[in-house]
Amino acid sequence: MIEFTNLNKWFGSLHVLKDIDLAVTKGEVVVVCGPSGSGKSTLIRCINGLEPFQKGRLVVDGFDLGSSSVRLRELRMEVGFVFQSFNLYPHKTALENVTLAPIHVRGLSKAEADDRGRALLEKVGLADRMQSYPHQLSGGQQQRVAIARSLCMQPKIMLFDEPTSALDPEMINEVLDVMVSLAREGMTMMVVTHEMGFARKVADRVIFMDRGAIVETADPESFFTNPQSERSRDFLSKVLHH
Amino acid sequence: MFWLQLNRVIGYWPVLLKGIGMTLALSALSLLIGVVIGFAFGILRAGPNKALSRVVGLYVDFFRGTPFLVQVFIVFFILPEIGIELSAFTAGVVALSNAAACFIGEIVAAGIQSVPTGQTEAAAASGFTRAQQMRLIVLPQAIRVVTPSLVGQFVLLIKDSSVVSAIGLLDLTRSGWMIVQSVPNGLLVFGIVGIGYFAICYPLIWLSRRMERHGQAPIL
Ligand SMILES: Nc1ncnc2c1ncn2[C@@H]1O[C@H](COP(=O)(O)OP(=O)(O)OP(=O)(O)O)[C@@H](O)[C@H]1O
Ligand SMILES: [Mg+2]
Repeated sequence: MIEFTNLNKWFGSLHVLKDIDLAVTKGEVVVVCGPSGSGKSTLIRCINGLEPFQKGRLVVDGFDLGSSSVRLRELRMEVGFVFQSFNLYPHKTALENVTLAPIHVRGLSKAEADDRGRALLEKVGLADRMQSYPHQLSGGQQQRVAIARSLCMQPKIMLFDEPTSALDPEMINEVLDVMVSLAREGMTMMVVTHEMGFARKVADRVIFMDRGAIVETADPESFFTNPQSERSRDFLSKVLHH
Repeated sequence: MFWLQLNRVIGYWPVLLKGIGMTLALSALSLLIGVVIGFAFGILRAGPNKALSRVVGLYVDFFRGTPFLVQVFIVFFILPEIGIELSAFTAGVVALSNAAACFIGEIVAAGIQSVPTGQTEAAAASGFTRAQQMRLIVLPQAIRVVTPSLVGQFVLLIKDSSVVSAIGLLDLTRSGWMIVQSVPNGLLVFGIVGIGYFAICYPLIWLSRRMERHGQAPIL
């Protein structure tokens, strides 16, 4: 589904992704963690072409992202992206946020899109907030709308970039619950997060990044109980102790 | 004496009315054209094509950096030299729309840039084309931000329109000049002309301030 081969990326002279090799298969849930600035966001932003890269290969759902002829728009229809800061459209209601792309990108009729959108908003527990504008919603509610917005395109892959780190603690679980059920339904997911509970529950693998490189790959249980590298031990002790 | 003069000025109401009509027509038409071209300028100015953005920037700066009276003369006296004959009205509309487009373009560009990049990222990630991102997501938010300043700009446009009386258009200002020939009380005549402009502009000033106070403009 997602295959990085020896991928390298620079921001100017800053080498932010170093020799990334990683394959994610259909239905797999991969959690990415690591210290700030290690390149986690950049890594998953490459997958839907939000960031270009300079060297190596990246194939996502059959689309070769290195080639100049890649149909980015078609790829993006198949890849949902959830941002740390939600990025809902402030001038649109929750329902409109969710149906805008299905109507204008997928070409669904408004009625079809509305049906799909309502069902998804119900699924994320927002049946009663469909006509609310983003500023009328709490952070947790906004992030659930953002997840529904991505799902409404019926993507094959979902990417999450620290979806809960902008949220107050009491709202984290309502968002994680939605993500857990999505994972259990078999969605292919890559999730940048430090939420260990989530990783333990549904992740097939945890990837630890540091300074642009993948330092360690392990199943969640062994990663959290018995990290192999010095740097991941160091990182975990910091994350666990606050 | 004063009342007599006032009476005579009021007797000239058809001229004043004609002048107001001309000022309104000139302003409204230029406003319409200026808004359309101004939005195009703003979109290009804030757009990803750096060369195009610079060209528009230079063009806009040129007209922002020259007196409007000079621009009117260029359009009316110099264009005919290169074979473009314009009536006074057309010349006035061309000069005014152009000046309006330049100011509106800068305001719109600033409005577009004020929309957080997260918005276009989210839209791009959903598969919208660049044009759709602009039309569906960026412009509606930019318009809300810039509407108060745009309306303020319309006031400047209406006031600037008085300059075109210099090329012989019978607008509100020129009707004042005509009346003052036979009623030699400049203060009185131009006081009335001033009140005429104020009556047109004040609703706009009020609207602009109200929208600023309420934070957001209504959706256009
Ligand atoms: N647009 C950019 N231009 C230049 N440098 C950038 C840009 N975006 C990120 N970087 C740099 O690239 C490196 C990796 O950034 P990235 O955002 O991927 O890290 P991260 O692991 O997601 O960090 P965080 O946990 O803080 O989100 C950092 O050193 C960052 O400063
Ligand atoms: Mg990040």
